Amino acid sequence: MKSGNRILFRLGAIAVIIAIAVCMAVIGRGHTIYFDSKSGEYNGQAYTAPYKTEVYVKDERVAKLYDGERGMASTMGQTFHYSLEITPEKGGDSYTKDVTFKVPYNLDGVVINIAAMEAGLPEEAYISEFVPVPSAAELEDEEVVTDEFAGLTEGDEAEAG
Amino acid sequence: MTEKKGLGALIRQNSVSLMFVVICIICIPISGLSPSYLINEIVTRMGRNAFLILSLLIPIMAGMGLNFGMTLGAMAGEIGLILVSDWQIVGIPGMVLAMIISVPISVLFGLFCGKILNMAKGREMITSYIISYFMNGAYQLVVLYLMGSIIPIKHSSIKLPRGYGVRNTVSLLSMRQKLDNLVAIRFWGIKIPVVTFIIIFLMCLVIVWFRKTKLGQDMRAVGQDMAVARDSGINVERTRIISIVISTVLAGIGMIIYLQNMGNIATYSSHSQIGMFCIAALLVGGASVEKASIGNVFLGIALFHTMFIVAPKAGAVITGDSMIGEYFRVFVSYAVITIALIMYETNKRRAKSAVGAELEKAQLEEESR
Repeated sequence: MKSGNRILFRLGAIAVIIAIAVCMAVIGRGHTIYFDSKSGEYNGQAYTAPYKTEVYVKDERVAKLYDGERGMASTMGQTFHYSLEITPEKGGDSYTKDVTFKVPYNLDGVVINIAAMEAGLPEEAYISEFVPVPSAAELEDEEVVTDEFAGLTEGDEAEAG
Repeated sequence: MTEKKGLGALIRQNSVSLMFVVICIICIPISGLSPSYLINEIVTRMGRNAFLILSLLIPIMAGMGLNFGMTLGAMAGEIGLILVSDWQIVGIPGMVLAMIISVPISVLFGLFCGKILNMAKGREMITSYIISYFMNGAYQLVVLYLMGSIIPIKHSSIKLPRGYGVRNTVSLLSMRQKLDNLVAIRFWGIKIPVVTFIIIFLMCLVIVWFRKTKLGQDMRAVGQDMAVARDSGINVERTRIISIVISTVLAGIGMIIYLQNMGNIATYSSHSQIGMFCIAALLVGGASVEKASIGNVFLGIALFHTMFIVAPKAGAVITGDSMIGEYFRVFVSYAVITIALIMYETNKRRAKSAVGAELEKAQLEEESR
């Protein structure tokens, strides 16, 4: 193989690998979707949570929510399909709704308020970013042990003593 | 007489494997574990470890002994997985991306390791062992100080509370056993991770094919005699470096397969013992410092991990303390490597003295004429 061809071949191989890496980063991006069933108010317009909402992802129920409750589901990629089975009133009839949601790439967690969505409010009213609060365990200082020679030197003895 | 000598030599050659067969035969009934549980565990560990151990075959082919430098590849795999976990790339795409990230790091580590091993010809094993310790320091520098401060790490579940450095354990829950469960069949209660085994099978085919290529033949020639290989026009140093680079890259990929099965990374210790256990398993399978086959890999995993599974239980039954079994299996891992090294040196000396004796005999015959 000529050296020019060889360089081209190598560059091509690197480009293909980078393309695969980019594809993996896009299709493999994981998100956590939180479903809220909470009554509230947006720009003076009040909305009420339905009595019961069941959330299905790929025909599997991931959440059964009553007023004020939250459920969650994990998804991969930027398109999230889910179904809602909503019962507005206790003992009343329920209806089903299929929803497709484009998840913003940069968000790890997205909160969807089903009550606000059902009230016909704009997207910014019912979609918000989930900002995790580090747990007490996560905030606790963690000792990292990497020293192969721990306890073998004079300094360690002094520290221990 | 010849038959007797042949049987003795056969037993001597396979003494490590036979020792393990005996240990397993004794320990299995004592442990009280059911055959289906035992087979299930062995199949799981086969899928988890085989790729990593296969990565050791190529340097042996090139006469570089057992590559403790595979630890470097394991570090590269871990770096890939830590980054991918922080970027929240999950499942199989996360694994593939981690592999792609690990490859250039493994190549760099492999080049570095190969160059040093070329400076320490004949002492490759101990040199690669010490390199793995030395590079562990470089890995710690990256993971403990650069990640979070220079290399962005966003998630508090990965980053230490002080703002830089990675936690002792990184969860891989989002990709745990995704490869194993992609296509998994149950056969008599035994879970068989089909895709993992297909990948391992393909790797075996690649190794068989690689041995027949020009580069593979060169490696074998270098492994047999470096001087002869050099005289026949083979670039010995380059061939040796390539073998270490290939081994390191495969070890990086193998580590990712291993960790996806485990479901978490022990950031500062996962890689440090992996070389030891993979080498021990290969030696248990009947490999030696200068010769190893694909069969040795699978026999080694089966025997070594059977011992690993049954020893704590058998130890608990015999002594009432499962820790005895734990000590036993770690002790045996080191012992196997020691025995293999002693046998290698003994055989080498025996062969040398046999050649010496033949020369002496020929000299005496010539003098008597």
